Amino acid sequence: MKTTHLSAWEHEECVLGEATPEMLGHLTECAPCRAEVARLEHGVAVYRKAALEWSSECLVARPQRPHMAGKNGLPAVALRWAIAAAVLLVLALLPFHVGSRRPVQRTAEISDDVLLQQVDEQVSVSVPASMESLTHLVSTESSSGAGAATAAPGGKHIVQTN
Amino acid sequence: MEALEQLIHAGQLSPVRDRMAAELEDVNTLCSTYRSRIYRYALLSLRDPDLAESVTQDCFLKAYKARKEFRGDCSVATWLTRIATNLIRDATRSRKFQFWKAANSTAVDAGAIADRLRSPGLSPETFLMIKEELRQLWDTVATLPGQQRSVFLLRFVEEMEVLEIATAMGLHVGTVKSHLHRALTAVRKAMEGTK
Repeated sequence: MKTTHLSAWEHEECVLGEATPEMLGHLTECAPCRAEVARLEHGVAVYRKAALEWSSECLVARPQRPHMAGKNGLPAVALRWAIAAAVLLVLALLPFHVGSRRPVQRTAEISDDVLLQQVDEQVSVSVPASMESLTHLVSTESSSGAGAATAAPGGKHIVQTN
Repeated sequence: MEALEQLIHAGQLSPVRDRMAAELEDVNTLCSTYRSRIYRYALLSLRDPDLAESVTQDCFLKAYKARKEFRGDCSVATWLTRIATNLIRDATRSRKFQFWKAANSTAVDAGAIADRLRSPGLSPETFLMIKEELRQLWDTVATLPGQQRSVFLLRFVEEMEVLEIATAMGLHVGTVKSHLHRALTAVRKAMEGTK
């Protein structure tokens, strides 16, 4: 056991929990050294208590902010990748979409042309289709022909030429 | 830390490392477990609640981003403390921090903190002594050099082992002990002033 008092460095070693058995033995016997170590430990303890008090007070006054981008931060990354993939997909499919629209348009134009042509043909016909059968009927007002003649009202004779 | 080293030698590190990696993946649990500790360390180092909050947020963000680099050679708490130490050092070097430090606008009134420590059984004389003691200690710790203060806070407030502090701060164990002795010498001198 040390007979002389512990040095300041040794007191600090005791506070740090690094005291040798010799130092500890001296402390059990020496009241002044024990008081010095206790005083230093008390000072550190007071500081610690105040530090914890102040810190917890500041922490309570400061609610925890939401963490970065949701749970585990993964959705933000996933969302970013999903948006990028969607944009790329749209850009990749855009030419096909535009290309596929053109033939449809062309087909529509052609069918329109055909329809117009048919309308023109219909319009250009002197006798409407509904009256076409009547064109086979020949008026016999000025000429007489073969076939059965019937007397129409108003004095006209219509000859059916089947 | 010592328990961790024992596990390394016993060849059981892999499950421990896996558990640590899983802990780092779940940022919500990570924050709720270590936020108060990291915030306290930042607050006592910087003495600015807003800056401490900012450092704490940055610390978890940085840890999450660098989680793949975590090798599991120390505890998650020690790893977070290392990140926080670097962030605190960067913050104290910033011009903004230097300006406000010079302006002394973020000075904390130790007397006001001491008032909250008052317990009913304490006599007014004893309370006054403690208050004065705390004021001296508070100012002394605030004026310690950066590394000395960090080592002091980690040892006496966070109650970390010397080896853990050395890992967290990237220092040799001897250097940590040296810082601790110097800090304690300053504390003792401050307390002699209140005798």
